[in-house]
Amino acid sequence: MLELSGIGRRYRVGSGEVTALADIDLSFPTGSFTTLVGRSGCGKTTLLRILAGLERPSEGEIRRGGDGKLRTAVVFQEARLMPWLDVAGNVGFGLRGRVPRAEAAERCAATIELVGLSAFAGAMPAQLSGGMAQRVAIARALVQEPDLLLLDEPFAALDAFTRRTMQNELVSIWQRRRPTIVFVTHDVEEAVLLGERALEMQGGRIVGREAIALPYPRDPTDPEVNLHRRAILSRLMATPAPVPA
Amino acid sequence: MPRFTTIAVFAATLALWWLASRLGWVSPFLLPGPGTVAETMGELAASGELLRHTLVSLKRVLLGYLFAIAFAVPLALAFVLSRPLRATFEPLLEFLRQIPPLALMPLLMLWLGIGETQKVGIIILSCFFPIFLGVRGGFDSVDRKLIDVGTVCGFSRPEIMLRIVLPSALPAIVVGLRIGLGYSWRALVGAELIASSAGLGYLIVDAENLARTDIVLAGILVIGVLGLLADHLLRFAIRRSAPWLSGDLEMARA
Ligand SMILES: Nc1ncnc2c1ncn2[C@@H]1O[C@H](COP(=O)(O)OP(=O)(O)O)[C@@H](O)[C@H]1O
Ligand SMILES: [Mg+2]
Repeated sequence: MLELSGIGRRYRVGSGEVTALADIDLSFPTGSFTTLVGRSGCGKTTLLRILAGLERPSEGEIRRGGDGKLRTAVVFQEARLMPWLDVAGNVGFGLRGRVPRAEAAERCAATIELVGLSAFAGAMPAQLSGGMAQRVAIARALVQEPDLLLLDEPFAALDAFTRRTMQNELVSIWQRRRPTIVFVTHDVEEAVLLGERALEMQGGRIVGREAIALPYPRDPTDPEVNLHRRAILSRLMATPAPVPA
Repeated sequence: MPRFTTIAVFAATLALWWLASRLGWVSPFLLPGPGTVAETMGELAASGELLRHTLVSLKRVLLGYLFAIAFAVPLALAFVLSRPLRATFEPLLEFLRQIPPLALMPLLMLWLGIGETQKVGIIILSCFFPIFLGVRGGFDSVDRKLIDVGTVCGFSRPEIMLRIVLPSALPAIVVGLRIGLGYSWRALVGAELIASSAGLGYLIVDAENLARTDIVLAGILVIGVLGLLADHLLRFAIRRSAPWLSGDLEMARA
């Protein structure tokens, strides 16, 4: 269980202050799949960075339940590959020195295959398209077999076909290994297709929750999916976009 | 194809030179033909004179270059690590950077005489800044977003330093080193032209005083070839140890 209570985050901008997050109370049960949806600038990335431990909240508390450390992996909005390492080197970046070499190589090869880049294992990041680079970043997170997997609009750069494949792959990995997943997206349909629940964000706050109890894999044309989409959209559109301070 | 073009361009230049002297476009005194220059170079090589001057020059460059690295790298690192240090001394260094090292020659000669110390001094001065700026710029421009990747992998500070910061900084460092090498070679020849009793620069002025244009040209050719060789050697070393840098290297032609 991962719990946030009373989390807020403010940034100093010039002489003023921006509130990126306010009054966030959330819990993420172990093994759950949560999607976080909202328009850009609503604080999704900030919330994810706090969950990842990359950012300290201005107030509030995070509790990481269970014993020992939560192995966390993040897929950022941009691929963030090391330009001096080839695809295999980037995928294994977090494993080196932590997992025996032979095991690391084996896991890397399997994960590269999973994201469909076996032919490019030796390619350098500069030689990859944006979508391929993002798939390498996803592989770099998956190969660590994390307990907590945080993804920040990971499929936004992919073409529609690859996105569908990757969405299905992510769901099947989740079903097999049961990591806790927090998946950020600005695409309501994606939020409904993937999450057991979708949290709606607006102006740094959680403004709505939608439980989605449909079986996987979900079909975007399923009327049930559409109902959830409409419910989320109507709530997000009803609350006006916050006026910039 | 590019290799062929290169050879063709060099060959054409040589042919033009040969034609110019052969057809008497310019006086053989002002521009001796390639044949004469080659002959002279052969004589200089046979007598051991060429090797002696070359070794003197190379030793000075190497010494000055290494000293400059030894000064510039720690200072640049100190600037990267300490904001107050940087704020205090940055303006002074900016001022010093504007002064061409050769303008300091007279002062250097008064302080250090015209011996080896002065030659090495001028080389240190001329390649200090490219190396210093390369190292500082390299560490300054490390992408924070890449450091985040290490942080979420649970890396320690030394691991982040070694596996993310250093490789990120490397291209700029290498560019600085390459520019510095070029500068040091040029400054050396300048210093040797002004005051010295050995070295390739000296070989040239001495020949000029004796009106031996053939020796002057032979000296110039050797300087060019050695500069090119040093640059290629550095590039080769970099390409071997850090193949992904090849692209950045091309920015370093200065
Ligand atoms: N480092 C920062 N400094 C100042 N303001 C920031 C910083 N990071 C985020 N913000 C602000 O916080 C708000 C939320 O940003 P973000 O979490 O990136 O939104 P999202 O990911 O939903 O697009 C925005 O108004 C943004 O300008
Ligand atoms: Mg974002």
